[in-house]
Amino acid sequence: MKKFFILAAIMTLLVPFRAALNAGEVEEAATGAVPEAAAKLEQPILISSAGQSADAKLVGMLTKRLKLNATTESMATAANLEGIKTLIIVPGYSSKGLGAAGVKPEDEAERVASLIKAAQGRNIPIVVVHVGGKARRGPQSDGFNRAAAEAACHMIVVSQGDEDHFFSDLAGEKKIPIELVEKIADTAEPLGKLF
Amino acid sequence: MIPKHHITGAIVLLIFAVAGVLAAHDFISMWTPDKIYPSAALTEKRRLSDYFSDLKGTNADTDVLIFQGDRPGATVMLLGGTHPNEPAAFIAATVIAENIVVNAGRVIIVPQACASGFTCTDPFEGYPQSYTLDTKSGPRRFRFGSRVASPLDSWPDPLIYTHYPSGQRLSGFESRNLNRSYPGRPNGTFSERTAYGIMEILRQEQVDVAFDLHEAAPEIPIINAIVYHEKGEDIALAAVLDLEMLGMSYAPELSPTNFHGLSHREWGDATDVIPFLMETSNPIQGRLRGQTNAELVIEGVSPEYKEALESGALRIVYTPTGEPLKHRVGRHLQGFQALLNSYNMYHEDNPVEIEGLPSHQEIMDNGLGNYLH
Repeated sequence: MKKFFILAAIMTLLVPFRAALNAGEVEEAATGAVPEAAAKLEQPILISSAGQSADAKLVGMLTKRLKLNATTESMATAANLEGIKTLIIVPGYSSKGLGAAGVKPEDEAERVASLIKAAQGRNIPIVVVHVGGKARRGPQSDGFNRAAAEAACHMIVVSQGDEDHFFSDLAGEKKIPIELVEKIADTAEPLGKLF
Repeated sequence: MIPKHHITGAIVLLIFAVAGVLAAHDFISMWTPDKIYPSAALTEKRRLSDYFSDLKGTNADTDVLIFQGDRPGATVMLLGGTHPNEPAAFIAATVIAENIVVNAGRVIIVPQACASGFTCTDPFEGYPQSYTLDTKSGPRRFRFGSRVASPLDSWPDPLIYTHYPSGQRLSGFESRNLNRSYPGRPNGTFSERTAYGIMEILRQEQVDVAFDLHEAAPEIPIINAIVYHEKGEDIALAAVLDLEMLGMSYAPELSPTNFHGLSHREWGDATDVIPFLMETSNPIQGRLRGQTNAELVIEGVSPEYKEALESGALRIVYTPTGEPLKHRVGRHLQGFQALLNSYNMYHEDNPVEIEGLPSHQEIMDNGLGNYLH
């Protein structure tokens, strides 16, 4: 009898403990976030374009205003990742940008793929920030948008660029946290909170 | 007895003669200059030939309006009408000229940079020769011109246009395009000489920051954009962020170093000026437009572009309710003011201070005509 009561007491204590564990699992399923994603990302940060739109430089300006330790290198390669703790990719195609950089779209796609692979090889988290709205969507941009988004651990997107849920659907599929904002300037808050 | 076929021939000749006279009258009516009424802040009215005397007496000569503030500051130059078939650029320059007050620095406005292009329209485009805006002083007619200088001023076009001095090769048609002719040369083609004259303004007036206003077809990739030379990157990006706070989106675009002849590249390479070029979306320039008339210039409503937008098959910049002239002019004015504010932020020791210009919202609320004499 005594053994029965001891066993019953242990089972009673186990019930709330198990309930707490279940709550954690439900929360994880709802957000698609794992506890590690809530941890702050580290600096210094490297910001690169994917598609050579000037949006990378806009984001660079925002990081300056946030006083983050960030360098913008639109044509970043693996060599630029030395000492970097976080990579921010700002996707968006620009014919003028590619012309200014003197590269063809296919060369740019190759550079971006190599950069992403190098970052992943060094366990450098990748954040995608899409601020170009509709202007940086469409057949020419979406190749770059997809390549960057699929490698991201976090996305911040100006909602005009996600009217067709391109980024949201990708985020849901890959369980990547995504924050949608109204304006470019509104990316500052979620971006700041990541670091 | 006069043979019947002689009578027929005479009648046909007479019909064509009358048609020719009417067409000539229409064509010559485009030679009448547009009237611009500079604000009371105008301190000097010059001509382009004052900067390059070879242009005197030619159709390249055009008004250069100078507004000098009481206090020293930066010198700004603004061009409208580089492409006379881009009406928001010309009208925006006109609104600025007719409303501006300069407190510090100088603002130099060339409302019709390609004066020759205002004397004709482009063949086969069916463009109207003019459009009329209701203004404070009544209906006011403005010419709608060609993209390029008149063939009467520059003929014939070469098969291939080789840009001086880069050697870049373009279609011969571009030899009459002012915005492919910079930096120009004093002994070059008509457009090269015009471009040289404008470069002389930059040099002689020691311009600090310069603007070239444009429009483009809704399907063109560079639209609703601020194109900047690398010297002006921080200024452009800060302005884009500030404009966004007002709910207005401008795509920042870096001027390519290997695309020659354009103001945003050559002005910045050849002088100390920081150049900017702005584009708005103009349905009448587009390939998908339907009826091409003055109403399309002013209202900017194109059911064809609406259909294209709704199809999702094309990447175009077109608001379903249209791209009216007042909205496009408003964008240019707001962009101009934002870039100047941003310039001043980075040049606190040498700002240009202006007032009197309407915002985009004021133009939309009160109408464009309220800001035209």
